[in-house]
Amino acid sequence: MRIETTRSAVAFRLEHAAGYHRSDADLLAQLVPLALAAIERGEPVAVALRPGTERALHEELGRPAGLIPLSRPDGPNSASGQTVAAHRALELRELTSTTGGPVTLLTEHITTLDGADGSFWTEFDAAVNVALAELPVRMTCFYPELPLHLEILDGSRRNHPLLLVGGQMLHNPEHLYPRDVLAMRPAPAPALLGPPDLRMTFSAWQLHEVRRAVEAAVLEADYGPARAEDLVLAVNEVATNAVEHGAPEAELAIWTGNGSELVCEVHDHGVLADPLPGLQAPHPSDPRGRGVWIARQLCDSLHVWADRRGTHVRMHATP
Amino acid sequence: MTRTVEDLRSVDHACAIPVSDEQLWEMTATFVAAGLAAGEQVVYFDDGTSGGLLERLADDCVPVTASLDDGSLTIVPPDTTRATLRSPPPHVQDMICGTIDNAVEQGYAGVRLTGQLSYALRRAGGVSLLQYDAALDEVVRARPARILCLYDRRRFPDGAIEELRARHHTELVVPAIYDDNLLRITSTGPGTARLAGEVDHSNRPRIRRLLETALDQALRSHAGPTDITLDLSSLRFVDVAGAVSLVHAAEEFPSSHRLVLTGVRPRVLRVLDRCGAPFAAQLVVQPRTEQDSGETR
Repeated sequence: MRIETTRSAVAFRLEHAAGYHRSDADLLAQLVPLALAAIERGEPVAVALRPGTERALHEELGRPAGLIPLSRPDGPNSASGQTVAAHRALELRELTSTTGGPVTLLTEHITTLDGADGSFWTEFDAAVNVALAELPVRMTCFYPELPLHLEILDGSRRNHPLLLVGGQMLHNPEHLYPRDVLAMRPAPAPALLGPPDLRMTFSAWQLHEVRRAVEAAVLEADYGPARAEDLVLAVNEVATNAVEHGAPEAELAIWTGNGSELVCEVHDHGVLADPLPGLQAPHPSDPRGRGVWIARQLCDSLHVWADRRGTHVRMHATP
Repeated sequence: MTRTVEDLRSVDHACAIPVSDEQLWEMTATFVAAGLAAGEQVVYFDDGTSGGLLERLADDCVPVTASLDDGSLTIVPPDTTRATLRSPPPHVQDMICGTIDNAVEQGYAGVRLTGQLSYALRRAGGVSLLQYDAALDEVVRARPARILCLYDRRRFPDGAIEELRARHHTELVVPAIYDDNLLRITSTGPGTARLAGEVDHSNRPRIRRLLETALDQALRSHAGPTDITLDLSSLRFVDVAGAVSLVHAAEEFPSSHRLVLTGVRPRVLRVLDRCGAPFAAQLVVQPRTEQDSGETR
C-alpha cells in the first residue's frame, strides 16, 4: 500500500466551487465549457459523475478528450463522507504527482449517497476542504437546485469558497471553515451494529493488550501477514490517540462475525480538537498527527464522530 | 555469587531468575548458543513456549534449523517435560545420566540442559523442586554437563525464589538499561544497544533518552564511535510516534554522527518507511536478511 510521507510542494492549492443545475441538460451545458477550458489549458480532466452524465459529456466533447473517471464510492464505506474524501485525495495525489500540474475535477451529486438526511454531503465537502487543501485541483461540484434534503443546499453553500454562476466563478460570502461547518452539523454516527464479539477497556499502559486482541481477530480471518500487521498498527494508532489526548481509559470493540470483514471501534470521553483528524499529510517535522493519517490509509474506512459522551472512531477493513 | 552467561563455561549448575519474557529468552538463547558453539549437545525442556526461544535464536543469527536437524539442539516436547517433572528424582537422575553418556559417545564435548520449570509449581503435593535440584547437582558434578535452572520471577512466589536461589552457588545475571516487561534495552558495547520487544506510547520516551545518552557519551570521548547502533532484530513492534522519534533523533544528530538500525524486521521497516526514514540522511536502516535469521546457514 502506498503511503505518502510529504506534502505537495506545488504552490497551486485547491479551488473548490459549487454549481447548481435545473435539469440534466442544464448540467451538461455547464460541464462542457469547464471541460473545454481545462483541455485548452492542457490540464487533465477527472470526473466523478453519474454514468449517464459521463457518457453525455463524452459525446459532447468528442473522441479525443480523455476524461479520467475516479472510482465510484460503494459498499458500507461510502456512508462516511470523510472516508470517501480521503480516498479521493489519495487518487488525486497520485494523479497530480504523475501529471505534475493542476487537474480539473468535475463531480456531481449522487442521490444514493444521501443517507437519512443528506448530511453525507456536508461532511464530504468539509472533508474535501481539509484532505485536498494542498493539492493542485480545480474542483467543481454540481448539485440540483432542488434536492430532496434541504441540508444538501445549506451544506454546499457553507463548504464551497467559490460559486459557479452564469459561467463565472464568484467568491462565496457564505463560505465557512470546515471546523465551523462541522460544529453546526457534526459528522453523523454510522449505522449501529449488534453487540461486538469483543469489548475491553484499556489505559495508556495496556496498548499491547489492544494489539493482542486485534491480532487474534485478524488471525481468524484470511489476511496476509503484512496486511494483518498493518491493521494492528492502524488500531494501535487510533487507540494511542484515545488515551493520549482523551480520557485515562478508553474502550475497544471488535466485530469479526461478518465473514472476513473486521470492524473495530475505539471510544473515549475526550473532546475532539480536530473534527476531521488524519485527513492531511502531517508536516515531516510535526511529531504528532501522523498516526491517524497512516491509519486512514491502512483501513478501508475510518470514520470519526463525536457526541456528548466523547469521541468515537470506527475502522473497517477487508482482506 | 552472580555471573554473566558468558562465564558459564567454568560453572556446571547455575540458576537464573528472569523478570521479563525478553530477559528469559535472552538468557536462554545465550546459554543455548554458547553450548552449540562449543560443540556441546543442548537439551531444552519445553513447557509450550519454545517458539519464543527459537525466534530469539534466529534473531541472534544462530543456525537453528541445522542444529535441530543434526540433533545438537533437542527440544523435549511439553508432555515429556511434564512427565519428567512428575517422576521421582532417582528416575530423572538415571535419565539425565543416560542422555549425557549418550552424547559423549556421539562425540559431543558435553551436554547443556535448560528449560522453564514453572510446571513443577502447579502440581500440588509432588516432590519439591529443591529435591530435583539436589539430584541434578549430583549428576553434573562428575560429568561434562551444564545446567541452567530458570525460575520466572513473575510465576514463582518470593519464598520459593529465595529458597532456590540459596541452593545454587551461581546465579546468572544479565544487566539491562531498561526492562518494563514489554521492551528490554541492553547495552552491547560502546555506542551500541539492543532493543527487544515492543515500543509504544508507554515506553517511547525511553528510546529518546537512550539515544541522547549514547550520543552524549560518543561525543564526549575522542575515540568514541561515530555511529550509534541499535540492534532491532528482536524488536517486534514500533508505533508511528516511535518510528518518528527515531527519524527525528537521527536528523538532530551532529553531521559527524549517524544512527544505524540493524536487523530491522519487515514489520518495523514498513513503519519506518512511512515515517520518512528514507529521507533522513543520517539514518541508516539495515533490513534483516534471510541470512541473518540463521536459517540458511
